[in-house]
Amino acid sequence: MAVVSDITQVNLNGLILKNPILTASGTYGYADEYNEFIDVSNLGAVVTKAITLNPRAGNKHIRIIETKAGMINSIGLENVGIDKFLESKIPVLKNNNIEYIMNIAGATLDEYVKLAKICNDNRIKAIELNVSCPNVKSGCLEFGVDESALFELVSKVREKYRGFLIVKLTPNVTSIEKTASAAERAGADAISAINTLKGASIKIEFINGKFKKTVVQGGYSGAGIKPAAISAVMRIKSAVNIPVIGIGGIETLEDVLEFFAAGAEAVQIGTANFTHPEIAQQLVVELSDYIKKSGFKNLDELKKELRA
Amino acid sequence: MLKDKIKKIYKAKVSNFEQLAKSSYFIEIETDNPINVKAGQFISVYCEGLTLRRPFSVFSNNNGKIGILFKEKGKGTKYIKSLKKGDLIDVTGPLGNGFEIMEKRSLLIGAGIGTAPVSFLKTKLDEKGIENIFAAGFLNKDEIPCCMKIDRIYTDDGSEGEKGSILNYLGILINEYKPEIIYTCGPFIVLKTVAQFGEMYGIETQVAMEKVMACAIGVCRGCVIDVKQNGRIINKTVCKDGPVFKGSEVVWQ
Repeated sequence: MAVVSDITQVNLNGLILKNPILTASGTYGYADEYNEFIDVSNLGAVVTKAITLNPRAGNKHIRIIETKAGMINSIGLENVGIDKFLESKIPVLKNNNIEYIMNIAGATLDEYVKLAKICNDNRIKAIELNVSCPNVKSGCLEFGVDESALFELVSKVREKYRGFLIVKLTPNVTSIEKTASAAERAGADAISAINTLKGASIKIEFINGKFKKTVVQGGYSGAGIKPAAISAVMRIKSAVNIPVIGIGGIETLEDVLEFFAAGAEAVQIGTANFTHPEIAQQLVVELSDYIKKSGFKNLDELKKELRA
Repeated sequence: MLKDKIKKIYKAKVSNFEQLAKSSYFIEIETDNPINVKAGQFISVYCEGLTLRRPFSVFSNNNGKIGILFKEKGKGTKYIKSLKKGDLIDVTGPLGNGFEIMEKRSLLIGAGIGTAPVSFLKTKLDEKGIENIFAAGFLNKDEIPCCMKIDRIYTDDGSEGEKGSILNYLGILINEYKPEIIYTCGPFIVLKTVAQFGEMYGIETQVAMEKVMACAIGVCRGCVIDVKQNGRIINKTVCKDGPVFKGSEVVWQ
């Protein structure tokens, strides 16, 4: 049963979603995996795990470590590659009526352009460019931190791809206003922010007279990054006119409202999916109830009042 | 309507809590419906204030009352230890693939808290009438959970059963008992050594692995290990593809 209703509908610059609760890339698999726990078709959209041109095995060594208010991951973009995604995951998404946004990542400009063309040829409705993964040594990281490289990348992708184009920005820059503005000028339809913060954690144990250290360097996510994300959304909003999708440490309805107040039109739930696998759907229900209970006509009116 | 969709999340009541050994505790939770759990499968427990849920192998299942064994080691187990009878606990499961039970003479090797799923497996084998012996190793007498049907006990200090690591007795056990399959759970070194003995003696082994997990359902790829399959080395998730693997397929580092 769908929990959706018109009151939660959101129009992101032409991309209409039944509600503004999305799930963040890398935390929700490719398609229907969370149907074990909820009805994924109730969500605004699922952003797929990052897809690359060729399959990737990802990083060796320890990939995750818990921190005080979140976790650090160093998965290294392990994924099945675009051919297998198109062949085996898209039918699952369609059969289950799951709205999705395909997250793509390349190691070179050429790879991004090829991916964009494939997405266009396959009529993928919306894509999110991962230009900021902190766990891959070469490649996409450079695009996200350099505004002229980012401008060129987004422009080239825009030439090949006519669908809805989201650029996911990294917080690991001096001025996110500048990278956001570059993405907008290059033709992005929306911006999502933030990707993970660069982080590291060293777990120290003293066993049999010796120190045992577990070091994980990678992307920090979870509740701890929310203030950084709110700040980024506010600064991006001040620099661009395209919609912003807020990401970072969202766990509760209050967090969602905070992102709306900061200027986000929609949000993505990430690490909290691991803690509470049902959280995204729960937030859809809570948001809908909140709009009704507070006497607003719809989501747009709620946002308007929040920002007044 | 929505609730019908939710198959694997339980706000379960703690129905029993006991200390079974010096540093091992047993906690039993009551789910709404009796659920079928395979030995080697696990449940994932939300621990208040922590980002990552904690996985625990199932130790017992009596008509939907799921029991686990744990040692207080970190923040997660500290939380679980703080629970009392009647408290609600947020649990998902059963998750993963358990031991694949074969109609073969079975040697069960458990070490430390890793005896929990092996003990559960023993009850299943006994129910099916499959011939087996359960050998278990502990630090000392005080660490042996009081309720397990263990056939051979080994302790590091010799305070109960044979003295020394269970690993020192693997060859003897195999030669004496002549198992057709070995199932095991315990520290990494135990799993690795059992797998090596299996290779050496040409006996199939099934090992229950452990790794820090985030999603527990195979999507985040956080808990992968290297596994040999069809001559290639590929990633397999401990949470979904495992936690039980064939010992011969794991790439032991």
